[in-house]
Amino acid sequence: MRILHQIRPILAALRSHKTAVMLLVLEIALTMAVLGNLVFIVYDTINRSHVSTGIAESQIGWLQNIGVVGQDNPVTGAENLAVLRAVPGVADAAYVSPPLVYAQRNPLFIDPSRKQPVAQVYEFQGSQGLVDTFGLHVIQGREPTLDELPVAATVTSDAVFPVLVTQALAAHLFPDGHALGKLIYDGGGNPMRIVGIVDHLRGEITGRVDDDYAVVTQLLLGAQNVGGGFTIRVHEATQLPQVLQAAAIALQKANPGHVQNAALTMAEARESYFRNALAAGRMLVAIMLILLVVTALGVSGLASFWVQQRRRQIGMRRALGATRRDILHYFQMENLLIVSGGVLLGTLFAYALNLFLMHRFELAHLPAHYLVVGALALWALGQLAVLGPALRAANVPPVVATRSV
Amino acid sequence: MFGYYLDLALRSLKRNKALTALMVLAIALGIGTSMTTLTVMHVLSGDPIPQKSAQLFRVRMNVFPDDSFRPGDKVPDNLTRRDVEALLRDARADRQAAMSAGAMVVAAQGEPLRVATRYTGADFFPMFDVPMRYGRAWSRADDASRARVAVISSVLNEQLFGGVDSVGKTLQVGEQSLRIVGVLGDWNMNPRFYDLSNGQFGDSEQVFLPLSTALDLKLSSSGSTNCWSRTNDARAADAPCIWLQYWAELDTPAKAATYRQYLQNYIALQQQAGRFSHAGQAEALDVMQWLDAKGVVPADVRLQTWLALGFLGICLLNTVGLLLAKFLRRSGEIGVRRALGASRRAIFLQCLVEAGVVGLAGGVLGLALAALGLVLVRHQPTDYAAYIHMDLRMLLATFVLALASSLLAGLLPAWRAMQVAPAVALKSN
Repeated sequence: MRILHQIRPILAALRSHKTAVMLLVLEIALTMAVLGNLVFIVYDTINRSHVSTGIAESQIGWLQNIGVVGQDNPVTGAENLAVLRAVPGVADAAYVSPPLVYAQRNPLFIDPSRKQPVAQVYEFQGSQGLVDTFGLHVIQGREPTLDELPVAATVTSDAVFPVLVTQALAAHLFPDGHALGKLIYDGGGNPMRIVGIVDHLRGEITGRVDDDYAVVTQLLLGAQNVGGGFTIRVHEATQLPQVLQAAAIALQKANPGHVQNAALTMAEARESYFRNALAAGRMLVAIMLILLVVTALGVSGLASFWVQQRRRQIGMRRALGATRRDILHYFQMENLLIVSGGVLLGTLFAYALNLFLMHRFELAHLPAHYLVVGALALWALGQLAVLGPALRAANVPPVVATRSV
Repeated sequence: MFGYYLDLALRSLKRNKALTALMVLAIALGIGTSMTTLTVMHVLSGDPIPQKSAQLFRVRMNVFPDDSFRPGDKVPDNLTRRDVEALLRDARADRQAAMSAGAMVVAAQGEPLRVATRYTGADFFPMFDVPMRYGRAWSRADDASRARVAVISSVLNEQLFGGVDSVGKTLQVGEQSLRIVGVLGDWNMNPRFYDLSNGQFGDSEQVFLPLSTALDLKLSSSGSTNCWSRTNDARAADAPCIWLQYWAELDTPAKAATYRQYLQNYIALQQQAGRFSHAGQAEALDVMQWLDAKGVVPADVRLQTWLALGFLGICLLNTVGLLLAKFLRRSGEIGVRRALGASRRAIFLQCLVEAGVVGLAGGVLGLALAALGLVLVRHQPTDYAAYIHMDLRMLLATFVLALASSLLAGLLPAWRAMQVAPAVALKSN
């Protein structure tokens, strides 16, 4: 209660330092705005780097091949898949490029005239075995059987492809829940019929809702040869690097005219996908820490100025019976009031900055709890910064009152 | 007078070392952080070819047939082989080259090697001011005759031939052999503006050869290929696919305007020929417009720059507060000076000089911090890390920013200081 009684005199005293108080309030408000948004961005990046693509990443690797001119390969696409499957440790293989490595977004339509796109989706087109290789979970409908798959060599442009879509895409396209059996269309390819729904398959991890919008098409690969990428899934995640290496060598042996271009585990693909964002995150954390230090220095610098300026008044209060604790509390309370003002204004600033960043950088809305954490951090920082000057004030002897400065 | 103010400022700053150090540190941290991010921004958004960036144009077109055309879509970056060959035949620009990235396996002696390639025309080299260490680029006649020639990078020359003049030697590509006609000098464009689709930062390609030769040999090309209908060979002369990049050099603005008109006419002719019924689109973007359209500066970096500027603002507020404390604490001294005849203006200037001294000291320390920050940036595993460095312009900018921001921070405190009423100040002392 005694502390509460002090509020009025504190406010009265602050009124005579309007400029300095305003500056401090403004500084704390800006700190809060920048800090809140920084923490949000960094936390969001870190969270994103842990979101699953929906495929069995720890067991999956990717091989890319290119040909040498003038050397024809006797091996066909289907045989290449068989070669890969025969490598000890390989559970399954398919001709397809996995998420994060190569992901292209295409417009999707639900009317055959293809006038108005209803979503931007990641299209995964590959050979037979794609669904098993990725380790996708079909939660509704079923995976198309081998007999149903369009044969890559003979497919005509009016054939309807049986496809799988993700749960999120199905719900977006057909909110009534009846996606199975419906026809969908991409920009220029064949019409596609939804025969099954998988739980998740994210082409990229950007934080957008439509990361999880994907369409999976399998074609039956036969005699023709395809270049490009093969994805393999191994039985044991721990064996992935060795098995991937063995698979690359087996593929090389079967295709003397091919030269291995790249072999990549999904862990490596993920690392390289998030490399820039995480590096940026580290920079932001550094900025954040420096920001806190600067604000603390500012608060404590101004507080010690005030303490020095008021030595006589402090002495008088001590002489009139105020305890050291009273003086200490006075400065702590004063700091709490100023920081609270800054926090209130900072909440406004933080939202304004967030709106600006949302507009320019596709940032999400700043959740309120970041502001609560920011406010608590600033209160703690303010108390820490004022402690030194306040203790010095508490040590001012009453005799100062009677001395001339 | 200035010297006297400077002397006063230094004395005053020396009097309270802790407060002075605090102010210098606040400015230095603000300057260091913002200069670090601004330098990254400056390097990434810099002009890769300043002497020619206004004369080089990326040509883009939209020639989609009606069923693939959607109004409001962006103009595709690449062209069909059909359009490229028509533009090359007309040759309306001072120089022009179509190009594509690729990869192939070469052997000279010993182990075969996978190399990144660029298939392009003879004009590529003079157009982008590519320096040659040995030999020279191939000629337009070589383009026409699909000559089996190649230009290799100095790195590859080092790798294959130990750095000696390798002109006249051959590169084995499968069954075919290419005769080396030139070796590049040091040449790396960062960002690699002529082809942003295959990694924006990094070393230049290792082998360059005529596009016509590459098509003839069916060498594999990489980069985006967009076909609007099924085709067996996306690289065929009449394939319905856009995959080739096209650059033109136009030495004067008048020529650029004429060339743009030519492109419009070309598109109109294509429409009349019945390829599509929509209006079509054709444009020529100069290098900076092109980099801007492709958003070469990563969003992360732009975000950091904004936040760092906000951070500088906070540091400035901090300095304003501290300077205010410092000046008002000297009310007595200011009162004496005023009583002895100093004008308000003199007090104001004296305070600003003091603020400027703090700013310069902050700038020097800030520069050191920025250098440290850039070392940290260079050690980050980003694509662009290796190309970040501070140039003279950013060095000067650091001091200008430090001085300007400290003077700005000094304005309010100096204004308050000159308002000190001499009588009151003297009495209260």
